[in-house]
Amino acid sequence: MKVLNYMAITMMAVSLVACDNDDNTNTELTGEGTTRIEFDNSYSGSDLLLQTTSYSANGTEKIVIDTLKYIVSNIRLETEDGELYTVPKEASIFIVNEANEESRFITIENVPAADYVKVHYGIGVDQDKYLQGADGQGDFLNQATAQGMMWSWQAGYKFIRFEGRFTAEAQPEETAFAIHMGSHGSSLDNYKEVTVDLPVSAKVRTDITPEIHVVADISQLLSGEGKLYLEEKSQIHVDPDKSPMVATNASKMFTVDHVHN
Amino acid sequence: MNIFKLLIGVSVLLVGCNNAADDYIGLPTPVNFEVPANFPEPNYDFSANPLTAEGIALGKVLFYDGQLSSTGVVSCGFCHEQAFSFTHHGHTISHGVNGEEGFRNTQPLHNLAFYKEFTWDGAALHLDLQPIIPITSEVEMNETIPSVLSKLQADPKYSYMFEAAFGSDSITSGRMLKALSQFMLQMVSANSRYDAYSREEGEQLTPEELAGAALFNDKCASCHMGELFTDQSYRNNGLPLNSNFPEEEGRMRVSGFPDDFYKFRVPSLRNVALSYPYMHDGRFGNLEAVLDFYADGMVDNGNVDPLLKREDGSLGINLSASEKTNIIHFLKTLTDYEFIQDERFSEF
Repeated sequence: MKVLNYMAITMMAVSLVACDNDDNTNTELTGEGTTRIEFDNSYSGSDLLLQTTSYSANGTEKIVIDTLKYIVSNIRLETEDGELYTVPKEASIFIVNEANEESRFITIENVPAADYVKVHYGIGVDQDKYLQGADGQGDFLNQATAQGMMWSWQAGYKFIRFEGRFTAEAQPEETAFAIHMGSHGSSLDNYKEVTVDLPVSAKVRTDITPEIHVVADISQLLSGEGKLYLEEKSQIHVDPDKSPMVATNASKMFTVDHVHN
Repeated sequence: MNIFKLLIGVSVLLVGCNNAADDYIGLPTPVNFEVPANFPEPNYDFSANPLTAEGIALGKVLFYDGQLSSTGVVSCGFCHEQAFSFTHHGHTISHGVNGEEGFRNTQPLHNLAFYKEFTWDGAALHLDLQPIIPITSEVEMNETIPSVLSKLQADPKYSYMFEAAFGSDSITSGRMLKALSQFMLQMVSANSRYDAYSREEGEQLTPEELAGAALFNDKCASCHMGELFTDQSYRNNGLPLNSNFPEEEGRMRVSGFPDDFYKFRVPSLRNVALSYPYMHDGRFGNLEAVLDFYADGMVDNGNVDPLLKREDGSLGINLSASEKTNIIHFLKTLTDYEFIQDERFSEF
């Protein structure tokens, strides 16, 4: 009987030890994981539908959007303590193309396990990257060429391609518009940095891959801090005033809607 | 035991004499970039693209390969002719595929390692990236980078050359551009009579040439400065607008700033006697016409550089007939005959 008692005690002890609370928040902050950032392009809170749907711009114009592409680069993830993980520069440049769903999801691997609360990135290509020559462009040169994101008459990238058709009260006939915004040689650097706060932290672990859902409100390209009326100028390629305005508007159009852990 | 040793020996020999020789690609041979004694430090970052004999050889083949154009005819060398200091002999503006015309005069290729920006209007910030412009321009080579790469991939000689230069036969845009840069970076022009005189190597200038040099320093060198003969700035030199090319805006096309209208990068005057016709649109056929313009032909096109305004408000540089003649004598001393005959840069 004593043996049975001992066995019972032993079994209880073992079962107590065995049944610890193994839930996710106890996973150690070691190793690396993956995170995904989704760029969800919307228009004033509604889904952005290319080619078919008319949207209001600045209250007085109506636009139909045929093409929306922009370059996202230099992604960094920041923890509550201010620690930054910087994605290696050569791997940290992407073209988000509204017409290509896969391109809207950016996967970042080898991220140190941590709870991240902010994401920083750039819209466009910074001057440093140009000065790195061919080596610095890597495969991105080909990608950009294939997507029509390179100028020909200037060896530079289009940071944003925003094209479509518009009508205005005083211009009821449908007219094409095209905004190609990039840096103007070394004279005007239109690369802009963006910081978005995450409503809940993105928990990167060896076994958790958080998805950060970023929403871009495209209505702000024309109607943000600066207002652009297509009736005034519908072709913006190298405009000393309007191009920087587009760049600034773009840098402020992003928010994080939610995070899946 | 003897037979055993014999067998071992034979098998070692057999193993040794396999086809490894076919697979052997040596390391690329480094080439030193020599900075002429009278030149400034280079601007190009060689650490990102070190010169090698194999890289340069590949770049040369690419430079003279018409496959980089849509018709197979227009290579870089088509407009950049060595005998004319790599300009397009006698052409005001150049024509590309199928006779398509642009609106700019082909610039010489020399001393590119010392420049910060490229083209008449600064449309390229790095030498590696400049070829993208002529390759993709519809009126020049009319191609796309991916399409050019597939042609190179289909051409057997390139897989060997890329492997020799870069270690594998992967043909990428980055490698193609780096090879082109390596070839062009070699084009240093620093052995004119002027250089031999400037470096005190025993060259004498004639009295006319010396007079011209003094006049040049006084009246021209504030823009055409130093041993590169350019301060690399963008300036409007009071050219009358060319009604043939209403689309021409000068640097304003790149920067967007109205203040940059009809500003062009001050060109180097090295080999100027060979690189006629002159200005961004090749409008002046000879050096006499250029100096006549500076003395007497400038107009207020809305944005003329302050350095070109006289005290009385008129535009131009005071030059008498004999001063013009002497300046031209001096400019001819900038011709580097070694450079235009250097086989390292030649097509054949």
